Amino acid sequence: MKEYVLDEPLTEGFLKFLGHFGTVKTLDKLRKPYFSFEKELFISIKGFTGDYNVEVRYRKEFQDLVSDYFHLLLFYEREGDRGVSQLKGIEDSIRDKMKVRLGTSHGNGS
Amino acid sequence: MNPEPQETQPPFIYLNNAATTWPKPAEVLEEVATCLRLPLHEAGRTTGNGSIDYPSAAREALAAFFHAGPPEHFIFTQNATDSLNLLIHGFAKKTGMPFHAITTELEHNSVLRPLTALKQDGVVKLSIVPFKDTRVNLDAIKQVICPETRLVVMTHGSNVLGSVQDIRPVAEYLHTNDIFFIVDGAQTAGHIPIDLSDIPIGAFVFTGHKALFGIPGIGGFFITDPDAVAITRQGGTGTDSQTLTHPFDMPMRFEAGTHNYPGIASLYAGIRFITRTGQDTIEKKTMDLTRTFIRELKLIPGITIYNENPDLPVVSFDIAGIENHEAGFILARAYNIIMRTGLHCAPLVHEQIDEGKGCVRASFSYFNSVEECRVAAEAIREVAESADR
Repeated sequence: MKEYVLDEPLTEGFLKFLGHFGTVKTLDKLRKPYFSFEKELFISIKGFTGDYNVEVRYRKEFQDLVSDYFHLLLFYEREGDRGVSQLKGIEDSIRDKMKVRLGTSHGNGS
Repeated sequence: MNPEPQETQPPFIYLNNAATTWPKPAEVLEEVATCLRLPLHEAGRTTGNGSIDYPSAAREALAAFFHAGPPEHFIFTQNATDSLNLLIHGFAKKTGMPFHAITTELEHNSVLRPLTALKQDGVVKLSIVPFKDTRVNLDAIKQVICPETRLVVMTHGSNVLGSVQDIRPVAEYLHTNDIFFIVDGAQTAGHIPIDLSDIPIGAFVFTGHKALFGIPGIGGFFITDPDAVAITRQGGTGTDSQTLTHPFDMPMRFEAGTHNYPGIASLYAGIRFITRTGQDTIEKKTMDLTRTFIRELKLIPGITIYNENPDLPVVSFDIAGIENHEAGFILARAYNIIMRTGLHCAPLVHEQIDEGKGCVRASFSYFNSVEECRVAAEAIREVAESADR
């Protein structure tokens, strides 16, 4: 688990971007709007919209493959729609490595 | 409001006292500072004018507090886990042959893991007794006792359900049948009066950093018959230094190396604080807080409380529609309320109560207030109302 302190607060736009890559859950009625992001085999993220802090957990067995994934999400969000397709391409190559490691076809789907 | 220490109160509500009590009484912090300001008084090794023999003073305080003795039969360790490892592995070594051991589903991993390690090594055949309505009764233990049974290890108080086990009949039965009985008092020591003078247990384990108000890193155990447990640690004791074998004298038999003096000083002061304040007063306040919190929780739709009548200030619950780790994260980060989530190192309890997924646990100390209970319950209400159901 890693906690990151960002130089900008987390936005709803970032959550929308996350939605292209995994399951985003939001709880909006709280004192602070909570969100979680779950991407099977990759990472899970917990935080609050508007906060600078975010908690990221990596899957232990693939940590070496996905340790940059959170940074990639932050980077490609700035690219808009183009960023979605570019990051999906990177994801595919990461999945290929996961498949080799697992020796199965497990790992499909975001 | 918390009576003390006012100046160190940050703006959060701490409800994780079953793990480690916080804050510590001012006199505990002062005693630790005093201990560190003075040269250490190491009996048999180093003495100095004005030094305090904290190990001896704390052993006497423990003996008076638990109504057991002699004081030299109170052994200092790092914590309850350390005590249990020393006792369980030491008992197995002393027994010197495979045997049958019994424990319960209520146990912490500090009991389950040492016993499982012995099982994997072929030293122990292990029976794990189920609990019913938060308790393990003697009949359930009797059912699994066999001629090879030599050891029973049982929690006194569940760190998840807050239930206190009636150890007296178990101790009496096991004593009659010559079965060594280790009681894990990590959750009860300091919370409830414990009189070991007439309960025939083999060993009673405690830790300093919970309800005894010491700092982390100090714990111990009381042992009635030291010959039942083999020495598993050897080293310097300040006595019999000319011999290369570890001395059998108590308490050195189970203590090697330099003591944790600040920890022992904190334990000494923690017991003094409890005695001065009155254990009944502390117990009444923490249980009143617990009942207040439970009353508030019961008014919230979607909350499942796993034991509505705990004997200890421990309340474990689930919020429908939200994972316990998410609830803990939200309560901590959005409301500044610190609770414990997950399995609480007691996986077998959770297999029974929540299919192994874990829960949220609030646990109270003398330094919590009714207002904190209400604020925490209101925060939980907001979390529960926001959850998907």
